[in-house]
Amino acid sequence: MLALRNVSYSYETVAAVRDISLEIGAQQLVALTGPNGSGKSTLLKIIARVHAAHAGEVWFEEKRIADWPAKEYARRVGYLPQDPDPTFPMRAIDVVVTGRAPYLGRFAWESDRDWQEARAALELCDAAHLADRYFDEMSGGERKRVFLARVLAGTPRLIVLDEPLAALDLSHVQQFSQLLREIVDRTGCTVIFAAHDLNWAAAHSDRMLVMQSGTLALDATPESVMRPDVMRAFFGFDAETVASGGRTWIVPRTSS
Amino acid sequence: MSGSLTRSILVLTILLAIAIALGVSFGSAKIDWNDEVARTILLRIRLPRVLLAVAIGAALAVAGVTFQTLLRNPLADPFILGVSGGAAAGAAIATAFRWSRVPGLVTAIAFAGAIGATAAVFLLARRRDHTDPTRLLLSGLVLNAFFSAVILIAFTLSRQADLTAALRWMMGTLFGATWANVALVMSLLVLAMIVLAFVANDLRLLAFGEEDAKSRGVDVERVKLIGFGTASVITGAAVAVSGIIGFVGLLVPHLIRLIWRRDFRFLLPLSALGGATLVVASDLLSRIIVRTTELPIGAFTAVLGVPFFLSLLRRAR
Repeated sequence: MLALRNVSYSYETVAAVRDISLEIGAQQLVALTGPNGSGKSTLLKIIARVHAAHAGEVWFEEKRIADWPAKEYARRVGYLPQDPDPTFPMRAIDVVVTGRAPYLGRFAWESDRDWQEARAALELCDAAHLADRYFDEMSGGERKRVFLARVLAGTPRLIVLDEPLAALDLSHVQQFSQLLREIVDRTGCTVIFAAHDLNWAAAHSDRMLVMQSGTLALDATPESVMRPDVMRAFFGFDAETVASGGRTWIVPRTSS
Repeated sequence: MSGSLTRSILVLTILLAIAIALGVSFGSAKIDWNDEVARTILLRIRLPRVLLAVAIGAALAVAGVTFQTLLRNPLADPFILGVSGGAAAGAAIATAFRWSRVPGLVTAIAFAGAIGATAAVFLLARRRDHTDPTRLLLSGLVLNAFFSAVILIAFTLSRQADLTAALRWMMGTLFGATWANVALVMSLLVLAMIVLAFVANDLRLLAFGEEDAKSRGVDVERVKLIGFGTASVITGAAVAVSGIIGFVGLLVPHLIRLIWRRDFRFLLPLSALGGATLVVASDLLSRIIVRTTELPIGAFTAVLGVPFFLSLLRRAR
């Protein structure tokens, strides 16, 4: 579905992504982790076509992503930025329906089908009751859910989420994880998400990518990432593991 | 088109029609079709003046809502990128050199100043094929300061007699309304509305941020160029013809947003109608409150607009 070949990207003075090669198939739930500034967001932006790679190639469904017509690509790949914000007051449902924008003609207005998709997406994200609420009256977590619904409303085949968990309370983190799994299982699409919570990322992904100073340091199953030596080497902290519920959990070791 | 938009447009059109009717009816001379002089006043002075108010109000409000959306900044107004400063500097220089005797020359130079200023701001803010909104704002701010200096120097060198007209222009005036000016601003406005409607679907996505819009297939740099260019041209034309009429471009989009709270596709036509109504009403007041002289219209856009805005703001949660 998605293939990166020797992809690099640099901001004015900093190389943010360095020579990354990677293949991701359909129906996968992929977690992208790594310390702050390791290049996660930049990599996601390249995949979402926000940035064009400075070197290397990105392929999506047998075509270079630069060769896809912009709207066509946007219908297939949905992207949730880290801090989405509509700037001006808008109702949640109006925010969500902009997820249908890639399907709209130049002078067209949303059809009934677009509104249906938007409402269905809100429902999926447990946010149907927020539909008519204004964005500036919502909590951070509610906004996040509305924005996730916006991505889903576009019925993408590849979903790219930058820090979707930030600002979510624990019960919605749980709900959200199940939702991602359901979407992947039911629609066969692929989800790539960036996350800092390693325990959560491991529990809810099929595959973990670990970035370190712009390079892809590790590409493995969650079980083989959740180890004290990996934490020490790639994340820079001492940890021990705890087994619970048939899974391994990482607990940072305090120095006392 | 969305049904609720059609209704909203209808309501505002009726309001504008009432304002126009009042604007044409009231003035220092009575309307009397049998009187040759009165008819001439109506056709040659009052009607073009009211229609110019329509065009200027709509142009400024449309430019305002476009700048606010593009810059993602609710405080942006049509003059923020140095358009007014450039126009005023052009007009001030023309005044200092006593070119104001040539009809239309000041307008032409002011317009050139406006467009030149915008182009300069754009070139200053552009880096690596990207125009950064913050750099745009900063460049506009700095250029406006520079133009203020030019205006001061030019005014000091001007003659007393020329200064009065120049000052009146700086405060905003519809005094010199001619059919030619009406045709100029109106045709540019219509053209601008068509162009903006063409990118309206993209512009409303830009309100979510450039990266977000890009990921949704919007050619962000192109849309920005079209948006800024269009808004600057109609602002330049409006300023060149009738000086600096404040508040319309800042206030009207917010008024519309407070009432409708919808996206750019709604705001564009509704702001145009709202801006036109506000300026026609302000012009009417500025003409009839004091019989002996004409008060500055720019003051009345604020006098009328601000209380209305504040009452809406208080009612909004």
